[in-house]
Amino acid sequence: MNPKTKSRLGWTVVTVLVLGYSLFPVAAIFATSFKTPGDLGNQTFLPTSWTWQNYEMIFVGDAQGLFLSALRNSIGIALIATFIAVVLATLCAYAIARLDFPGKRIILGAALAVSIFPVISVVTPLFNLWRTIGLYDTWPGLIIPYLSLTLPISIWTLSAFFRQIPWDLEQAAQVDGATQWQAFRKAIVPLAAPGVFTTAILAFFIAWNDFVYGISLTSTEAARPVPAALAFFTGASQFEEPTGAISAAAIVVTIPVVVLVLLFQRRIVSGLTQGAVKG
Amino acid sequence: MSTAAVPATKRGVKAGKPVKSQRTKAEARLGWMLAGPAFVVMLAVTAYPIAQATFDSLFSYRLTTPDEREFIFLDNYLLLFSDWTFWRAFLVTLLITLVTVAIELVLGFALALVMHRALKALRGALRTAILVPYAIITVVSAFAWYFMFDINSGFVNNWFSWVPGISADLDWFGNTWTALSIIMAAEIWKTTPFIALLLLAGLAQVPGELVEAAKVDGATRSQQFTRVIIPNMKAAIMVAVLFRALDAFRIFDSVFVMTGGDQNTEVLALLAYRQSISRLEIGLGSAVSVVLFACVLLMCFIAVKLFKVDLASGTDQSQAKAKKGGAEQ
Amino acid sequence: MKRNWSRAAAAAAAATMVLTACGGEDDVPVLTWYINPDDGGQQALAQQCTDEAEGAYRIQTSLLPNDAPAQREQLARRLAAGDSSLDIMSIDPPFIPELAEPGFLAPVPEDVAERTTEDTLEGALAGAMWNDELVTVPFWANTQILWYRESVAEAAGLDFSEPVTWDDLIEAARDQGKYLSIQGIRAESMTVWVNSLMESQGESILVDPSAGAEELETNLESEAGQRTAEIISTIGSEQLAGPGVASLDENQSMLMFQRDNGSFMVNWPFVWPATNAAAEEGSVDADLPDDIGWAEYPRVDPDIPAAPPLGGINLGVGAESEHPELAFEAIECIVRPENQTEYFLTNGNPPSSASAFDDPAIEEDFPMAETIRDALDHAAPRPQTPYYNEISESIQLNFTPVSGVDAERTPANTAQYILDVLRGERLL
Repeated sequence: MNPKTKSRLGWTVVTVLVLGYSLFPVAAIFATSFKTPGDLGNQTFLPTSWTWQNYEMIFVGDAQGLFLSALRNSIGIALIATFIAVVLATLCAYAIARLDFPGKRIILGAALAVSIFPVISVVTPLFNLWRTIGLYDTWPGLIIPYLSLTLPISIWTLSAFFRQIPWDLEQAAQVDGATQWQAFRKAIVPLAAPGVFTTAILAFFIAWNDFVYGISLTSTEAARPVPAALAFFTGASQFEEPTGAISAAAIVVTIPVVVLVLLFQRRIVSGLTQGAVKG
Repeated sequence: MSTAAVPATKRGVKAGKPVKSQRTKAEARLGWMLAGPAFVVMLAVTAYPIAQATFDSLFSYRLTTPDEREFIFLDNYLLLFSDWTFWRAFLVTLLITLVTVAIELVLGFALALVMHRALKALRGALRTAILVPYAIITVVSAFAWYFMFDINSGFVNNWFSWVPGISADLDWFGNTWTALSIIMAAEIWKTTPFIALLLLAGLAQVPGELVEAAKVDGATRSQQFTRVIIPNMKAAIMVAVLFRALDAFRIFDSVFVMTGGDQNTEVLALLAYRQSISRLEIGLGSAVSVVLFACVLLMCFIAVKLFKVDLASGTDQSQAKAKKGGAEQ
Repeated sequence: MKRNWSRAAAAAAAATMVLTACGGEDDVPVLTWYINPDDGGQQALAQQCTDEAEGAYRIQTSLLPNDAPAQREQLARRLAAGDSSLDIMSIDPPFIPELAEPGFLAPVPEDVAERTTEDTLEGALAGAMWNDELVTVPFWANTQILWYRESVAEAAGLDFSEPVTWDDLIEAARDQGKYLSIQGIRAESMTVWVNSLMESQGESILVDPSAGAEELETNLESEAGQRTAEIISTIGSEQLAGPGVASLDENQSMLMFQRDNGSFMVNWPFVWPATNAAAEEGSVDADLPDDIGWAEYPRVDPDIPAAPPLGGINLGVGAESEHPELAFEAIECIVRPENQTEYFLTNGNPPSSASAFDDPAIEEDFPMAETIRDALDHAAPRPQTPYYNEISESIQLNFTPVSGVDAERTPANTAQYILDVLRGERLL
């Protein structure tokens, strides 16, 4: 065996190992989601017969009221929280990258401080405040606290992105006769857009992942997001276990994440390493 | 982390000029107009609640008996610090933090090296795979691990029954140490990719010439690693470790899903949750929250002061470099 | 906007049934009924009573979490928040005092109280009271009975036509090398068990459940408390409940009972429809149901009748509800005996009304209905105190893992623990 094939073989083994590491638990819950109730207790990896019944339960069966509303809440709340965070962060990061003003460090420092904040510490006062002003168990009641998760990472990631934009291009374009707005749109927007988009993905992941706010600040299908709803699934009676339904729902909410990762892995990696902050 | 390659910004060039003109003022105003909303929102959603929590923690206040609310000053804290339940939660949290971060650092390094050296054709696949645990919902990951090991539905006992100590009768979640091991395994699985990616960025910053030079000097592989690569990545390692440690200290989701704190696996965040949300003891719960927050602050402070971790290295350092570069032009 | 959305969701969930009552919904007052998870029975009742109301009101359901303490948590938080959407609530009896004491529940009008409790079974009625007043309306009542595998009973020579004791069961399981299906998980079910063992000896966990936090005293440090701990500790330390005892909840203990090493089980009636369904589906032996017998809850003392656990659901009305009269009207409709019968047949949850047991269809689906009814007459509620949650959690903490229970120390430790927690001298 020559060294080249040997190294190729080695890399294949390593790749398989990494793939196994990353995907095995997902594969396990995927397999579980196709098990019949009888198979759930049989201690095997694969179902003995594959069934869609767990998916039927959450989409058209008993659990649909719980799951579909949670899915809608999760998508809506996470998207809105992401959108607001990205808009605010874009303005903020633009100022940080482009302008010189006192307090810049304070803003970045605040973003950092907020990102290390234990969510559980703010949940009780928020719960108390929300119930007095009527935001408890509503969409805004989750969107607002979600900003504490999505804003810091957005500011950091975008500041890093914006610093790398050659803003001189804007001037160059203006010299070539474009108006300021044209110059901004033609020269800067195409450069900034990928960064904004990447930031949006990262912020969405974080909002999508939230659990503590989700279980503490909601109590019905009106606003309960998916991670919180997963803990609410039930079997056929209140004493029977919902393993199948949970697994199916878990797979459903993992699909968007996997799709985003598949499509944008390069961007996500660069965004993560530039911002160097995780919510 | 961006490097010195960042081009000098237009403003960077001018920033050094000491003229306090009308223009600087206008710029400052514009700066705060743009950055202000984000800043205010961030403060509003965290600073206000933590202040309120600090205030609440001085009261004996149960939600179902609002009339009996009473100012008790530091009694809630005294109760906490004199109770083993609190210290146990504290120690468990600390243990989880130390163990997971240590293992993740090693594992993350391995993954980073793999990604760093991988053939071009494989890089995409590797990165995609590694991002899956990062991006998956923590609660989903916790359920996945729970179902794998659960004595009733899990296949692990069945698969590994040949390993001494594992049999069909092993109840992983029925014992403190096994339960903690699974909780930590799930955490490690989920968050190693984050560390690996930060380390990968650090690896990219190590100048290739230095490694080459070491090789020429006859350094072995492990010498190259310990003498050249690691010292040059120190900043990246420290940032990665600190962020993960702060994150690990706030662990909640996995414990909530897998044991709910049973078998002495309760962590601080769960203790806070149980007091304020389940028991509706707002005062006591707020006290735990404040203590947890203080711990996180302390960790951050120690890291920054003692270990000189430059948290802002991702942006400010490069900005400084950019400025410097600009000034020299 | 959100309200509309959730309304739309509820409507969609009941899409097929809603069709009948679609006209002119807009002016009809909407009553929100917070239901605990079941097999769709409460949803169906909501629809049925909406139809019968002919436009007087419309009931919309909203689902609460899986276990009773989590349901209490959600309700208490909403009630404390002064939420006016809590028109009707399905509440687990032990948590009623905590909600009734601060005035979170609207008082039950006298005439409604009279009409809805005419023939309510003794145990169920006790669970609906606080401070000698009816604060909720009993909807259905649950209790545990003893289930046994006839093959095992025969081999062990146990005669179930006579009351059996825990000692009998322990000995039989030990001799036969089979597992006893109890609930050993750290959950509400542990308090259920401890309470029944105490009450079966004629003692209650609390001396005076209506006492305030500072004055509460327990009876755990007694002979009865020791005997209770002894039974639990024997089962735990000898591993008579199998290796997974720490995760045995109601469902897991049923699954264990269904397997080859199953023997005897204390559990709620849901196990009967569940086991039959499993047999039909083929996930357990088709003739397994034929091997299952039932009897009254095991005694502690052969001469004192057992006091089986009391569970179930009562309906309460939130104090801030905008339509309390309509809510009680709806409740009267929901808890009618024939509805309770129907609910038992379709969802497996036994009625709290005596006459609801009279329907012959019940005997057909639940051949053990007589046993259940008798049990409900003897069932003892868990301590009725506003501090139930604290007491229950303290018991769960001290009595798990069951292998670590000590007949001498555990009751005393638990008693001390409860006092410390209630006096704010200890975390929970």
